[in-house]
Amino acid sequence: MKWSRIKTISTKEWLEIWRDKLYLAMAFLIPVIMMVVLGFGMSMDVEKIPFVAIDYDKTEQSRDYLHNFSDSRYFDYQGMAANEKQAESMMDQNKIRFILIIPPGFQEKLQAGKKVQSQSLIDGLFTYQSKVVKGYVLAINANYNQQLLQNWFAKKQGMKPSDISAMLSPVSLETRYLYNEQMSSLWSTGSGMIMLVMLMAPALLTALGVVREKESGSIFNIYASTVTRTEFILGKLLPYIAISFLNLLVLTWMALVLFGVPFKGDPVLYLVASVLFVSCATGIGLFVSILVKTQASAALITLLGTMIPGMMFSGLLMPVSSMDTPAKIEAHLLPGMYELNIVWGSFLKGQGWSDLWGNMAILALYSMVLWGLAIWKFKKRVAS
Amino acid sequence: MRLWWLRVFALTQKELLQFSRDMILVVAVAWFFIGEVYVAGSGVKMELINAPVVIMDHDRSEASRDWASQLKAPYYKVLGYVNSQQEAYDLLDKGEVIAIFDIPADFEKRLLLGQKTSIQLELDASNIIIGNLANSYSSLMNAEFNQKWMLKTMKIVDAETIQAPMVELRQKIYYNPEGKATWFMPISEMMTVITLLALFLPAAMIVREKERGTIEQLTVAPLTPFQILFPKILAVEIIILLGVAVSVLGVVGAVFQVPFRGSLILFFFVTMVYIYAVSGLGLFIASVSRNLGQALMVSFMVLMPMMLLSGAWTPKEAMPEFQQYLVVLSPLSYYIDMGYSIILKGATIQLIWWPLLQLFALGSILFWLGLIQFNRQLK
Amino acid sequence: MSLIIEVNKLCKCYKNIEAIKSVSLSIKPGEIYGLIGPDGSGKSSLMKVIAGVLSYKSGQLNVFGQRVDSEASAEIIKAKIGFMPQGLGLNLYPELSIDENINFFADLRDVPLAEREERKALLMTMMQLTDFRHRAMKNLSGGMKQKLGLICTLIHKPELVILDEPTTGVDPVSRRDFWQILSYMVRHEKMTALVSTSYMDEAERFHTLSLFYQGKILAQGEPDQILDSIQGWVALVHSQALFVCVQALSTQFTQVNIFGKAIRVVAYDISREDFEHQLKSILARCPKSHYQIESIDLEDAFIGLLRPKNKDQTVKPALDATKPNSIFDTNTLMIEAQNLTRQFGTFTAVDQVSFSVQSGQIFGLLGANGAGKSTVIKMLTGLLKPSKGKGQVSGADLNSSGQKIKENIGYMSQSFSLYADLTVVENLKLYGQIYAVPKKKLAKRIQWALQMGTLEQETHTLVGSLPMGLRQRLALGCALLHEPKVLFLDEPTSGIDPIGRQQFWTILVTLAKQSGVAILITTHYMSEAEHCDQLALMQAGKVIAQGSPTNLRQQVSDALGDVISMKVNQPYAALELLKKAHYDKAFLFGKRVHLFSSQVAQTQKKVLALLHQQAIEVLDVQHLPPTLEDVFVHFLESNKIQPTANLKPKESSSL
Repeated sequence: MKWSRIKTISTKEWLEIWRDKLYLAMAFLIPVIMMVVLGFGMSMDVEKIPFVAIDYDKTEQSRDYLHNFSDSRYFDYQGMAANEKQAESMMDQNKIRFILIIPPGFQEKLQAGKKVQSQSLIDGLFTYQSKVVKGYVLAINANYNQQLLQNWFAKKQGMKPSDISAMLSPVSLETRYLYNEQMSSLWSTGSGMIMLVMLMAPALLTALGVVREKESGSIFNIYASTVTRTEFILGKLLPYIAISFLNLLVLTWMALVLFGVPFKGDPVLYLVASVLFVSCATGIGLFVSILVKTQASAALITLLGTMIPGMMFSGLLMPVSSMDTPAKIEAHLLPGMYELNIVWGSFLKGQGWSDLWGNMAILALYSMVLWGLAIWKFKKRVAS
Repeated sequence: MRLWWLRVFALTQKELLQFSRDMILVVAVAWFFIGEVYVAGSGVKMELINAPVVIMDHDRSEASRDWASQLKAPYYKVLGYVNSQQEAYDLLDKGEVIAIFDIPADFEKRLLLGQKTSIQLELDASNIIIGNLANSYSSLMNAEFNQKWMLKTMKIVDAETIQAPMVELRQKIYYNPEGKATWFMPISEMMTVITLLALFLPAAMIVREKERGTIEQLTVAPLTPFQILFPKILAVEIIILLGVAVSVLGVVGAVFQVPFRGSLILFFFVTMVYIYAVSGLGLFIASVSRNLGQALMVSFMVLMPMMLLSGAWTPKEAMPEFQQYLVVLSPLSYYIDMGYSIILKGATIQLIWWPLLQLFALGSILFWLGLIQFNRQLK
Repeated sequence: MSLIIEVNKLCKCYKNIEAIKSVSLSIKPGEIYGLIGPDGSGKSSLMKVIAGVLSYKSGQLNVFGQRVDSEASAEIIKAKIGFMPQGLGLNLYPELSIDENINFFADLRDVPLAEREERKALLMTMMQLTDFRHRAMKNLSGGMKQKLGLICTLIHKPELVILDEPTTGVDPVSRRDFWQILSYMVRHEKMTALVSTSYMDEAERFHTLSLFYQGKILAQGEPDQILDSIQGWVALVHSQALFVCVQALSTQFTQVNIFGKAIRVVAYDISREDFEHQLKSILARCPKSHYQIESIDLEDAFIGLLRPKNKDQTVKPALDATKPNSIFDTNTLMIEAQNLTRQFGTFTAVDQVSFSVQSGQIFGLLGANGAGKSTVIKMLTGLLKPSKGKGQVSGADLNSSGQKIKENIGYMSQSFSLYADLTVVENLKLYGQIYAVPKKKLAKRIQWALQMGTLEQETHTLVGSLPMGLRQRLALGCALLHEPKVLFLDEPTSGIDPIGRQQFWTILVTLAKQSGVAILITTHYMSEAEHCDQLALMQAGKVIAQGSPTNLRQQVSDALGDVISMKVNQPYAALELLKKAHYDKAFLFGKRVHLFSSQVAQTQKKVLALLHQQAIEVLDVQHLPPTLEDVFVHFLESNKIQPTANLKPKESSSL
């Protein structure tokens, strides 16, 4: 292996990328665009849900009840609707997501110590959001009831408010959110996206880069020369690894600054792992490029082959631990999960070498296998 | 005029024939409309299913076991009991469990004394969806436990008999009462697929003619640039509408049992307008790409921001404010709004005529710009 | 002397298609060995196999005595080989400058820095590229790309260079330069060269050659040997009644073609006396005719070699395929260009071009890639508006009625503009509908087109699987469905085998002479230009010469004289000697030396004496009129226009 030849190929590759403006733009813009789009676009925060109320009672008590909703940061009060029909048509037009209906006689019945039924109509279009809304509505209602009961028992039976509270809800559940104390969607998806983007972009870039050489016919310069396969592949890929690593740093910076994700772990570990992952992703692209002949099929296969597994089987949307067995096996076979462990471990969990070395070892093994396979499969004397 | 249409039809027929002969493309499009939509519908469930948890029970009493017994399928899967904090945290760190329920030693004692007690839930919130849902379900469970305990201490058998003021909230979820994730995701994915193809296919058809040099022959023929482009858009409309039919009736309807509440014809009509709107961008893509690979990449680059500004994954109100203003620029946002409304809400033309008009206007602007760009390149 | 390359019964298959069918050849050190044949005849595959970059199915291959049968064994020879694949500059890196491209190839080949710079400087000076060394490769002209490709292949001093179609698409001056440089390098660096070409007229440049057709070698040996192996004669017949004469000759001879105002008759396997006798008896029926008999050229030989196998394929139908379309007025100007000029920004792509084409005339536009031919055609077909000047095409003005022009013309481009994934009939139908041929008529026209192109057997074949020759005729059929009176053909014959080209020309001539179609054609093949009634040579956007082929040739003859062609036993020494004696226009053609002289007899005497002094043996002397290539080169050089780079802005080259 001659370093000078590797350098020659790398330099040429780099010059070509640098001067082809469209390609250069793709190399650096795609990851950033993806990061912004996916980071902000996959926001799972459920806040400021627009809603209207229909108050058939129009009393002090009903207004008080309504205030519990309109004052919550989760809801965005859009005003009063005259009747269900009007409100429902608003919901049909996606202007509101939730309708609160307060029946007539609301105040009267409550003051008489009776039960009263209110109703909430929730837009079920966005499944996850509607579930969360349902939970919020129930919680606000439960709080309101607690107040009502405390006041009622205090008035009727002269009980101490604390005793009433102990009687009504003896067990309180105190939730501590670990790793993502503020329950910020950007913290988790924002940092997790580094994994997804850095799985797709380097693979795509590499696959296109190698296939481009095949398509144009300049690959014959390599075939016809005395450069060895290893030299060619190393030289060809070094620029892509460098670009991808640079991209990874940019994305990390975006996660830290733009999304405000904290970094609790070991930066050195993170950098080392990043190099491993980037070479792994490049290896995937390299492998694809050996199988196909045109840029179009390279792009298609790489996109499909990295995006779906990266999103579905990495733990980004659904934890690997709650997957069924076939999905679990698939998740373990792909590199995305290990990188996600490292990213979340480093950013959110503050884990170190002792926790993450296993993941890193697997990534290293993964890239070695891919590269080895690619070098082995690359032929300098082809059949067609 | 008749001649004009005859030429357009001849060219449309040619595009369709060519498409049908390109097996790779046909398979890819079929995969997008069937496989991709299926994977999206069945793959990711934004739900809490079998979430692995452990319980750290310092009390080991009947009450504590009673409380813990509520953690069950389909939401939770209790992996067992652990004794030390360290052990529990290790499991959390490794991602083997997503939550620890920490029950204090005096749990039962305090309950019996009528005192308040608390259970600590340590929740892995690195995945925010799971975090939110786990918290929400656990709270509901705890409320149920409280109610049972209250009734027990008050020796009331039937909760209905309590005389106290209470607001009973009856909840009704519209459009998707059972909250099935399999309803939302496949439709969303199908719309994304439509967008990608409406961007890529016209671009691909033009780029391919550029690559093979056949465009030259068309430009010297007595055809206006619009006449060259229009058949390609028509062909793409036909291909995508066919795909949509398969996807809506086959995958979304038959496999995931999503009810189609509105008019199928209206949905196809809206889709047609949408494809027209997006294909203008496709013309742009064709003018900057030199080969199919590039066309695909650039389509992807254009698709991304469109998705961001569309509300395909999250409702608009969840977006940052600046984004909400930019939404008007993404044809996809109008389409998603109208599409969901028609499929799940049964919206009629009266309800959606205004966004439809907006989409048409936006599409016309894009198409016109694309045409200018294409013309400029021809020269 | 051991052989550099030994190929023995080599076969190569791509999936089920046999590309090379049991080919054997051997190449001696210091030879320039040629592979000649049309596209798809197996030349490229063989060259790749020899370069060690393509595997083969069976047979034997030794390169430098090394058996090449695996990737490992191929690696051993690669250091000594320079390989330039097909496609002008396709293996170079468009974004890199000349300098960077050369450096890349040198470093790839481990050429030490000092040596690299020295050799780079030498080669760049030789190829006159030094001034452009920092220009990006994508902005170079065809000729410069070719030279750069050659430098990159030669930079590591290979002992064997393999050059796949290095002269395709290059202007004649650059081609001539290329051959000079190659023979210089072969001599001075003790190199061996394996070169392929699809131009038959380059055959004389080779020491030894193999004629390829459909994966097989038709003939091999020295050019003269191949010609001698086939007995055949050419008669050029001039007659006042051209068509009567053609009709009469066709009854007896299979190969009768109209070349401008002459008829070219070829006959094989016949003695000169018999041929002359037959000719005379036929021509007796034709008024006022005379003829002259010559020996056949290599293209004729190629056709002659194929003849026994292709008996049923010989073209006849063309003459009666189109019925004479009444009498047309030969004085109607169908294409007229007056001072046409087109600028892209500050760059003038076409500069004051004027010419006219009458109905029934075939007009040839010659020039290198980037000379402005395509821009002229784009203006004439209504695609581009001229910046200055005016013109008309079948009565429609260029400046005002672009759309009308489009309806009246037929157009066929280099790439044949067919849809490869549609069938023959589908393509025809599509173009018929685009040109709005009425339905009933279309069916008839499609039948006509199928017949004309002898495509009746292939109606439902996908165009992608048709051989090039058939594709070309189908493209012509598509362009003629609406019976245009004007036909534009942009390099319609590149890469087609000689038989296909001859068939194609028969059709064209019939169209022009019988139906009165005005034809404007561009071509790279100088031999084809002979078919044209009028020629215009273009260079750097200008027309530098115009006239009939005979007329142009006469002009060169008047200026330079005729060519003395001598076959010698030591060609390099002979050339050196002549150069020293200030015969600057001496060129090497394989084992022949060519020399221009206005006083042929006198010069010949002097030169023969000179050669005799140095004990150089002259085996054969011929006197030749200047070829059209000589004509082209002469006019280019007398115009003293540097073959500058292609400065066209990007927009103009796309689409």
